[in-house]
Amino acid sequence: MTHPIIRFDHATFGFPGIVALEDISLTIPESEFVGVIGPNGSGKTTLCRAVLGLMAPLSGTLRVLDCACEELRCHHRALIGYLPQKGMIDRNFPVTVLEAAMMGRYGALGLFRRPSRKDRDIARQALAQVGMDHHRDSALGALSGGQQQRVFIARALAQQPRILLLDEPTTGLDLTAQHSVVELIQQLHHELKLTILMITHDINMIRSRVDRLVLLKTKLFAEGPPQEVLKPEILSQVYGKELVITDKDFVLVEDYHHH
Amino acid sequence: MLELLAYDFMQRSLLAAALVGAVCSVIGVFVVLRGLAFAGAGTAHAAFAGVTLAYLLGLPPLSLAIVFGLATVWITGWVEEKGRMKLDVSIGILYTATMALAILFLGLMKTYNPEVYGYLFGSVLSVTTEELMTIGGLSVVVLGTILLLSKELYFIAFDQEMAAASGVPARQIFYLLLTLVALTVVIALKTVGAILVFAMILIPASTAYQLTHSLTQMTLYSMLIGIFCAVSGVLLSYAFDLPSGPSIVLLATSLFFLAVCCSPKRLHRIQPT
Repeated sequence: MTHPIIRFDHATFGFPGIVALEDISLTIPESEFVGVIGPNGSGKTTLCRAVLGLMAPLSGTLRVLDCACEELRCHHRALIGYLPQKGMIDRNFPVTVLEAAMMGRYGALGLFRRPSRKDRDIARQALAQVGMDHHRDSALGALSGGQQQRVFIARALAQQPRILLLDEPTTGLDLTAQHSVVELIQQLHHELKLTILMITHDINMIRSRVDRLVLLKTKLFAEGPPQEVLKPEILSQVYGKELVITDKDFVLVEDYHHH
Repeated sequence: MLELLAYDFMQRSLLAAALVGAVCSVIGVFVVLRGLAFAGAGTAHAAFAGVTLAYLLGLPPLSLAIVFGLATVWITGWVEEKGRMKLDVSIGILYTATMALAILFLGLMKTYNPEVYGYLFGSVLSVTTEELMTIGGLSVVVLGTILLLSKELYFIAFDQEMAAASGVPARQIFYLLLTLVALTVVIALKTVGAILVFAMILIPASTAYQLTHSLTQMTLYSMLIGIFCAVSGVLLSYAFDLPSGPSIVLLATSLFFLAVCCSPKRLHRIQPT
């Protein structure tokens, strides 16, 4: 087994009085593509915040890149590229595509240091990797949802991360854009050998692409290769009775409530 | 018009106006983008309450203005962070409470003091050399800090959580921004006054927002607009014998509406591919 890059050891996360994720033990080796699934409120975003270091475990430990510190300026944070949920970003924020990608360099640069030509080149290369370099002087707000996601992925890549953490990257996009974003993520995984943690509702979209699925429902309900996790007896326990399963595909009724 | 510049008081006022215009409009970019507009209005009134208490106690007016201003922004930031209450409600309470304090302190003064009212409505033409030194010193501090930490300030204005996640000490930078807002209000208190200072922070930045979709350009435009309005406002107020604060603010407001009407942002949209 390759070197573990994220390691949860009996870790519990939450707020005083509320447990969001309980007793998680999970080891993610370098260069693995992991899909994180589970119903609403199952702790997917908590897992994401925990890896980002925005939430410390209440008990147990979490080590990311062999570092368990809660230090804000710890070098390991800059090595995690993060794509937040789409709704979190103000569409009209006055920022050009290149300026947005440059923000990926800020954490890595540290306080008081100004971005150099080299940082600019890294940001442009990241934009080229997602196919957005020719739009670098456009306003971020003028782009389509799928293009904006590409720019934010470029921002994460500009950090030169070892881990890419994606929180529902396809939510709110049309079907074509969903496919193109997931294909881009898969391509980046192959080309850059990044460890990818992708939170999603869309099991159908990622089941054939990920190395491993992690199914959460406040606890780590199941994990393993997709064919081992996506079994009717496991899924129906987590998603309840509203689950429609066909031979070729799994369709979660929950998705119908969403869209 | 040029002979005006020979007067000492005019040189002082123009310099004070240019400094205030620059500082307010640059900090304004972050205030507008981080959604702190109302917080600043609350701070201005709190700073005025500080001025009135200082007069009552015989202390330097700007000293207590800083104390009151800082207390208000920090409480505001804390409330936003904790999310216990909606920000507009908590600021609304602080805003009116500090205004009530100001009126209370004014009432406690035995005599009418026109100087105090100068801080409410602004009197740039009566700026003294010492006040100019204070304004200059604080301007250097505020603009210097922004220059040193501009990338972090832009980042938290864009998305504070993303900034924190990538290792920027976002929370500390947020409180620093609030502190700079309070200092800016204090710098501008004498020139444009407590009631109008917030216009000087909001309007140039909002005008620049209409004109560009680049962060660096927005900051540059905002600063140029701020300085232009402040300096021209002072000249207009002298030439037509108008109060200086309103002259500056109304000039800025006219430019804002002009920018809204001619905003290239609306005329220029990229077709999604």
